Amino acid sequence: MKLLRIFLRRFIMIDYKRYKLEKEVFQKEKLPEAAYRFIGIGTDNPYLRIAARTNSGKIYTLHIELSSFPESIPEVYVTKMLKDSNGKNMSGASAQMHTLTSSGGWTRICHYGYNSWTPMVSLFKIYVKCRLWLEAYEAHLKTGNTIDTYLVHQS
Amino acid sequence: MKNENLIIYLDYQDILTFCSGHLLYKEAYAYEWENENVIHIHLSKKCHQFGQMYPALFAIDNKKTMQDKQFRFHVFIEKILPEPSVSVFVDGVQSDFYYIPDRNSLFSRNKGLLEKDVLKSKKAMIIGLGSFGAQIAVELAKAGVGKFSLFDFDRIELHNLARHIATVNDLGRLKTDVVEDAILGKNPYALVDKFPIDIDKNEELLSSEVGKSDIVICATDNNSSRLNLSKELVKKNKVGIFGRAVTRAAGGDVFRYRPGGACYACLIGHGIISKEEISSVQAGRLSGAIPAYTSDEDAQAVVQVGLAADISPICNMMIKLALLELSKGTESGIQTLEDDLVYDCYIWANRREYNFKNWHVFYQSGADRTIMRWYGVKVHKLDGCPVCSTDIILDTGQKGEYHDPENSDYEGLALV
Ligand SMILES: [Zn+2]
Repeated sequence: MKLLRIFLRRFIMIDYKRYKLEKEVFQKEKLPEAAYRFIGIGTDNPYLRIAARTNSGKIYTLHIELSSFPESIPEVYVTKMLKDSNGKNMSGASAQMHTLTSSGGWTRICHYGYNSWTPMVSLFKIYVKCRLWLEAYEAHLKTGNTIDTYLVHQS
Repeated sequence: MKNENLIIYLDYQDILTFCSGHLLYKEAYAYEWENENVIHIHLSKKCHQFGQMYPALFAIDNKKTMQDKQFRFHVFIEKILPEPSVSVFVDGVQSDFYYIPDRNSLFSRNKGLLEKDVLKSKKAMIIGLGSFGAQIAVELAKAGVGKFSLFDFDRIELHNLARHIATVNDLGRLKTDVVEDAILGKNPYALVDKFPIDIDKNEELLSSEVGKSDIVICATDNNSSRLNLSKELVKKNKVGIFGRAVTRAAGGDVFRYRPGGACYACLIGHGIISKEEISSVQAGRLSGAIPAYTSDEDAQAVVQVGLAADISPICNMMIKLALLELSKGTESGIQTLEDDLVYDCYIWANRREYNFKNWHVFYQSGADRTIMRWYGVKVHKLDGCPVCSTDIILDTGQKGEYHDPENSDYEGLALV
């Protein structure tokens, strides 16, 4: 009984079945295996690290928290503090820039709105949306236009 | 000489307890509602009882104890069998009294309409004890439901008071404690388990409590808890009733999950329901319904709660569905409702605002959608539902967005 309890989960988190499905989608979408890594599956702190290459050839690493996925919108971070076109840290929450309050020195992307979230949304779709955000971010660096010039808002 | 102007209540269950304890006497507690001449005498100390408390004494046929002026109130049990024969003295003067009925006869008034013996053994799990959950808990206790499992980690705050059953005296108290008191106030014999915790962080406990319940009421204010709960309902084959208000309580919806049927994730996936009511900035920030980039000032503007009267009809539907489910398979006076309440989702509009702005005015609305009428919707299982389907189909972005709840006016939806 004691042994069994160790395997009972206290926190609600991504289950193994869902994790396998998410990996299948990545394979189907031909994401190179070297580009992503699931870490801590089955623990209280599971997350996904995924590399995103923009059209300009730059590579960013995305960190996706999976501790309450898919029941809640997962937190997505770029694993560094990005600067805006004025050289300022993108650490705050901003509707124009589609960002939320940063954590651990990493810029946090706002990729989904509360009212449009469904637990069917795949990590691949989130990855695609964040890649679009990165394209918009690079366009912002070039033009100075805010990110919401390029991305649509979600409720 | 007899006291004529006092109204005294004595707990019959206490008499039975005292008689079965082979005691000669036991100190007890009398509560006087000041300046109202109303006194309740109990064997045990009551939590959160109002009124002035006096020491009282329960004794077996020994009027000598009356000399003891320490006790203003004396309860004498002169004969135990076949039925206790009891007299009450106040300041040495005998007084008439009434009994608060014992466990078995407290809900005899419901006889015929609801099978009290059936409900007494049923356990209702209620998650979220806000204006919805608290009201539902009390109504189920009134109907005779005997066991409760209450979940909420919040405390009563000033902004709750307008719509909650709590009073000013409850400010700062855990909602689980306030609602327990309210339940026990209706049925002192109810068994109440309290969990002032976040269900999203306690899967193990959530799962085991769902397993022990006969019905689960989900009255939280966010989808992640509804989805977490849905997983457990599916796993444990339990019925769940979900209810909520939409923006500014302009209306609301009630969803019933029955094993084998569509679950809450199916409902969300179909895009049937509309935007959530945000009842406080704190709750909105916690669920993400108010994004972090919204200033406190703007956040205050989106927190617009409706009236308690807007919440009541939605609670009422949840209560009826719960009682119907709990009475299933028994001879009850509400059986005919089984032929009426056949839908999975029920939609109600309080006012023609927001999602309901295009609905018809009540006057001469005929068959058109209008306010203050229930509409039922059949919800089918969603293909590949991540919660209730064995073959999950993920949204990989090919289909585009499902649904924009901001602009949903239930168009294209077969409301019956
Ligand atoms: Zn489902």
